[in-house]
Amino acid sequence: MDHFAAAMIAFGIALGGGAIGAAIGDGLAGNATISGVARQPEARGTLQGIMFIIIGLCEAMYFINVAFGALFVFAIGK
Amino acid sequence: MIYLATEPAPVNHPTVSLGCGNWCTFNYDSLISSGISIVITIAVAIYVARMLDSQKPGRLQALFEWMFSYVRTTSKDTAPDATAFVVPLAATIGFYILVANWIDFLPISLIPYVHPANTDLNQTLAMGVVVFLVVQWYTFRIHGPKGYAGYFFWDRPHDVPMPWRLLFVPLNIIDEIVKPVTLSMRLFGNLFAGLLMAYVIVLLLGNLPYVGSWLLGPIVLAVWKLFDVGFIGLIQAFIFMLLTITYFGLAREGLEAEHAH
Repeated sequence: MDHFAAAMIAFGIALGGGAIGAAIGDGLAGNATISGVARQPEARGTLQGIMFIIIGLCEAMYFINVAFGALFVFAIGK
Repeated sequence: MIYLATEPAPVNHPTVSLGCGNWCTFNYDSLISSGISIVITIAVAIYVARMLDSQKPGRLQALFEWMFSYVRTTSKDTAPDATAFVVPLAATIGFYILVANWIDFLPISLIPYVHPANTDLNQTLAMGVVVFLVVQWYTFRIHGPKGYAGYFFWDRPHDVPMPWRLLFVPLNIIDEIVKPVTLSMRLFGNLFAGLLMAYVIVLLLGNLPYVGSWLLGPIVLAVWKLFDVGFIGLIQAFIFMLLTITYFGLAREGLEAEHAH
């Protein structure tokens, strides 16, 4: 197996694993926000702001994976 | 579209070398775009400071007062005695990153091979290292030399009895070192993945037959840019600023525990 194929497979694994983690994190944040709004509808604005921060933090891990996977693929496949 | 499609992937940065090794080699695309954003940041700040009016605050002034008072309130809540330097640092970093992200709305890629500033790891790592150094200096100042050593070796975590704390020494050190790394890689990864996505859109849709290349491609690209630059750029600038303040709060860890006893 040449290096480029190995890099592509690694990129796929990184994408998939990162997507699982980010999806679970986003789901937990959304879940907590829904229960918070159901309990206290007047806190909706505050909770939405916090939810977007948490989602940004969760998605960051996934985007780091994407960026570095692409970096490896483009750098090795050149 | 055709112009963009001729560019290489935004992975390699064009460099200019002054002829003395790695430390004198500069990525001039990041230098140009960060220079533009620095100029815009300073110009907007000076303009807002000039037009301040306590009698009739305009819309822009209200917006800036709201942002600034948010930074100040958060900073006072997390690190009360550090407000004097945390507020300028965090507000400057947050506003500069916002400008540097949103500058991607301007057609700066008409200059050949120029990318937005935060898609270069050197740029984000520089800001992360600055925050790291100021946090270390602040930790040293509030804990003293003995407390600063204890911060890594025998004071943390507080709810664990003494001999077991030594097991946590490697974790404490990694915990500090990893802060600038995650801070910079989070920003870099988000912005770089967005730029790469724009490149892939151009690559896939730029070679369609004519309706595709002049109608579909630009629309998809515009929608993606609006989401990525407008939304993710804003959220990442905000998170970078908030984490900067939070790290100063974390540096006070030993103090509250001593006062509680």
